[in-house]
Amino acid sequence: MPARKASHPQAMAPSAPGRTRTAPPVQPGSWQTSRRMKQYSRFGMTGWVYLLASISAIEMVYALGSGPEAYERMQGVFGHPLMVLFHAISLFSVGYVVVRFFGLFPKAQPARIGPLKPPPGPVIAATLYGAWIGITLVLSAILAGGIF
Amino acid sequence: MSAKKTFVITRFDPDKDEVPKTQSYEIECQDDWKVLDAINFIKDELDASLSYRWSCRMAVCGSCGMMVDGEPKLTCKTALSDYGDTLEIEPLANFPIVRDLVVELEGFMDKVKRVKPWIVSAKEEAAHRAAATMKEGTYRQSTEELMAFKQFSMCINCLLCYSACPVVANEPDFLGPAAIALGHRYNMDSRDDGQAERNEIFRGEGTVFSCSYANECSEVCPKGVDPAAAVNQAKLNTVIDWAAGFVVSRGGDE
Repeated sequence: MPARKASHPQAMAPSAPGRTRTAPPVQPGSWQTSRRMKQYSRFGMTGWVYLLASISAIEMVYALGSGPEAYERMQGVFGHPLMVLFHAISLFSVGYVVVRFFGLFPKAQPARIGPLKPPPGPVIAATLYGAWIGITLVLSAILAGGIF
Repeated sequence: MSAKKTFVITRFDPDKDEVPKTQSYEIECQDDWKVLDAINFIKDELDASLSYRWSCRMAVCGSCGMMVDGEPKLTCKTALSDYGDTLEIEPLANFPIVRDLVVELEGFMDKVKRVKPWIVSAKEEAAHRAAATMKEGTYRQSTEELMAFKQFSMCINCLLCYSACPVVANEPDFLGPAAIALGHRYNMDSRDDGQAERNEIFRGEGTVFSCSYANECSEVCPKGVDPAAAVNQAKLNTVIDWAAGFVVSRGGDE
């Protein structure tokens, strides 16, 4: 039998042992190579990007509290081409996760929430994208000094 | 027209084998055969010791789920012509293997019982309905009320979704797609009064919030049930039910 990654040894195990000895469960062999699972793996790996981005943001806040020199030094670090590349990857990761989430969100709406029926999928998607673009524009305007 | 194909099939005899092994069979296959037809041919003509489950041959009973070239498939619905000259047939992934292509289903039965897959009627509601039934005839459900859950009631428990789910593979306590979809199906049923009980279960460990929305269950579902939608709708309903608990009285013991 070709090598397969083992599932958790107790995966789908009965609460009481059965009458016959069983072979342990294995995971599907196609997972690592299938298009769908590659997409899902990429989705999961964006978690590492957010972790690193969060650490760098905390570093920045810490530097801000350590005086102007530390803050200047940190800004210099953030200007390094590798950090710019990292932030580009972060932006791509956010976009990737948001688009995936927006794609799956409409079908996660129950047929009815109390007396309310959710709007059609395209309306939900349009609302989500509209809100995303609107918030991005407002934040960009704030960062550019256009507002406040 | 026919073509020679090789089937590499997992074999496991709990009385003899320590671990599963494979055995190859080369057979002449008709163009219009499904994968199950080929496995039946092998059993009938070449090796009567091969064990697997099957029954209806028309994608209704959900018995013949197997891994075909690493993907969970209902073999009676899977055309041989979609595959190359060699096919790898394995038992459903993520399940303990009982023998050859037969997997242990008791674990699933244990999980499915937890979601109370039946109509729960509150006593006073049941009495009211009984009275209404006596007066008006059969308990009526509108088309809209039926459509709220019909899709999720089409599940045939073939368990392909459990084989495809990465959470099932790694979290043994996870209720899994079909069981949660079934629980959600009853939660959406206008005749049911068990939402609070099921939502309590859904808020527990290893239930809806363990789902990472890989969507694999829906990709492999042969009946279009879309269990991923059910699980994620259940998440939302569970949260709403939890939040509503702060503002709406749930009643108490009589």
